[in-house]
Amino acid sequence: MGGSDDRAVPAGWTRRSLIGGGALAFTYLVAGRWRRLTPREARAEGAALRVLSVDDARTLEAAGETLAPGAARAGLVHYLDAQLAAEPAESLLILRYLDVPPPHADFYRSGATALDRLTGGKGGFTALDASARQALIGKLAAGGLGKAWPSSAPPAPLFHFVLRADAVDVLYGTPEGFARLGIDYVPHIEPLRPW
Amino acid sequence: MADTRSPLQSKTEVLIVGAGAAGSWLARRLAMAGRSVRVLEAGPGWKLDDLASSQIWARRLRWGGPLVETTGRNPFGYGFNAGWGLGGAALHHYGTWLRFDPHDFAMKTRFGRGRDWPFGYETLRPFYDRVQRDVGISGDAGAEVWRPPGDPYPLPALSPTSQGESIARGFRALGEHVAPMPMAILSREYRGRAACLYDGWCDAGCPIGALYNPLVRDIPEARSAGAEFVTGAQVTSLLWDKGAGRIAGALWRERDGGVLHRAEADLVILAASAVHNPALLLNSVSSRWPRGIGNEHDLVGRFFMTHAVLGIYGLMVEETFPHLGVSGAQFSARDDYAKARGDDEAAFGSYHWLIAPAAKPDDLLGIAISRPDVWGAALDPFMKRAARHFASMIAMVEDLPQARNRVMLAEPPRPDSPPSVRIEHAFAPETLAVWSRAKRRGLAVFRAAGANEPWSSGVNTAHMMGGTIIGRDPRDSVANEWGRVHGIPNLFIAGTGLYPAAGALNPTFTLYALAERTAEYLINHWRDHVPSG
Repeated sequence: MGGSDDRAVPAGWTRRSLIGGGALAFTYLVAGRWRRLTPREARAEGAALRVLSVDDARTLEAAGETLAPGAARAGLVHYLDAQLAAEPAESLLILRYLDVPPPHADFYRSGATALDRLTGGKGGFTALDASARQALIGKLAAGGLGKAWPSSAPPAPLFHFVLRADAVDVLYGTPEGFARLGIDYVPHIEPLRPW
Repeated sequence: MADTRSPLQSKTEVLIVGAGAAGSWLARRLAMAGRSVRVLEAGPGWKLDDLASSQIWARRLRWGGPLVETTGRNPFGYGFNAGWGLGGAALHHYGTWLRFDPHDFAMKTRFGRGRDWPFGYETLRPFYDRVQRDVGISGDAGAEVWRPPGDPYPLPALSPTSQGESIARGFRALGEHVAPMPMAILSREYRGRAACLYDGWCDAGCPIGALYNPLVRDIPEARSAGAEFVTGAQVTSLLWDKGAGRIAGALWRERDGGVLHRAEADLVILAASAVHNPALLLNSVSSRWPRGIGNEHDLVGRFFMTHAVLGIYGLMVEETFPHLGVSGAQFSARDDYAKARGDDEAAFGSYHWLIAPAAKPDDLLGIAISRPDVWGAALDPFMKRAARHFASMIAMVEDLPQARNRVMLAEPPRPDSPPSVRIEHAFAPETLAVWSRAKRRGLAVFRAAGANEPWSSGVNTAHMMGGTIIGRDPRDSVANEWGRVHGIPNLFIAGTGLYPAAGALNPTFTLYALAERTAEYLINHWRDHVPSG
């Protein structure tokens, strides 16, 4: 992990080659330059989001942090955004396992919108204090929001399940995450940078 | 995307759809027997050194084609179970290779329910024996008191970790047998392949080839014998030669460019999974086959089966190193495999235990997802404790063959486009009763092993079988015992879709035994199916 690659993207690279090419690195745009970074580094450096709006990203990050403290700094939103920008066949999201119809960006957007609608509109969820966020996320898990949770969003327990799993991926599913848990990663083949 | 050994426009003797376990095995066997072979694979051309050790990167190995709709009361988890690219699902399979039980072949005869296979265990036994010598299975046949007759395994059992030993202690305390799980993973070097390193990354594909997958031998040897593998080639339908009354080949599209191609062949083998084989048949409509090829009796796609999966989890007192070992299982327990039980008449069907799979912190089979109710401030302390003390085992429960469980087209057939696929699936009440029985017994085992407050999963699914079932009667099955579609001399199906009854045991070893049997048959009876060949 760690260390960034400051090479600018050569002329003629397509989005597809950036995302799905042999390097298999996540590529982020920082201050007009494409760089290979971990999601954590991308967040720290303020890399541009390509799919999620800033508002949706803030809400998703706050919800993810409520589910798995530490996930925000681990780069949850930049991880989601990089995967949502990829071709579906190249996505690494756990949604791929769950037979959820594409486009998967809609899954996250509609979930974020639903959280904000329940809390007074745009920015509502992030404006809550920690205990209020926890109370709402608890209801989300238990399916206790009833008709207040819009039908346009994924089922509330599914949204909770997926966002928690995404947060766990970035927080515990990397060599850095294993180290956080005090266990060896012992790879056959080191995951290509950044993982 | 394509090999350049021969022009794609040329006709081959054999066309295989799908480069997974069955397709790659048959490609190797037929190419080495001198047949010209082309394999069309929808996904990418993986190499062993693409198999990075990561549960996150492992997701690239799963289905990446058009969405498969999964419906019904117990939807089948296609996205997790299917493969994508060279090696197919076998690239991320766990190598748990068990022979089916003799009762699995004769459910209808012995119990008056379900369906029979057109042959019994003794017919398949020599092919199990041959394949295990070829592939190298590690196990202890003597310790498996439930094992049907067969050659001993060529390699000693894999070494257990403390996770496996701790759970085995629970079974023994209750007077139940456990034995090392037979695994297609090498406990020692074998025929030039390296032994397992026990680092628990099998789900991401084994890049050293200790766990058998098609990239290890079948695909390279098939290529050496002249077989051509075309990747990114999505077959859309089969071509029917009305005049000859035979299959003429297949239409396929380039996945990226969308260009439509025609691949002609003397003989076609569908090996594109228990879901996409029937879907391709249903999408192949013509005046002769208005409901799809081989579907005169509305059987194509029906009797689709999976396994009902139960997870039992707990935290042991001792350190268990749960992230190490193998993804499949360390031990097997099958004392309660009987299909019918005097003490539980509501339950019908078999189940068995896969004990102590390696569990990484994340992902669908990982530690965190086993406890979705733990989140927020409680998550990190739980993860830190579980990373050292977690233990788990899986019950695999037999699904009964039911005509209503089926693979179908989600939209009207369009032979020049990849089929839109829908799967409808619900477990029978008897199956769910077996699942509940397993849950009671599994939690008791964990308590006996010393786990505090063990917990369990909901009903999940694993493996796919049926949909193009074999049988003797063309009015009651899709293909014959060799996998040849009834009434069509040159169309064969390979893979788990042929199973008329699924048993509870992991299906891959039986897939390979069947593929080997069909390969031998085709080599010896080629002229019966390709008269001019």
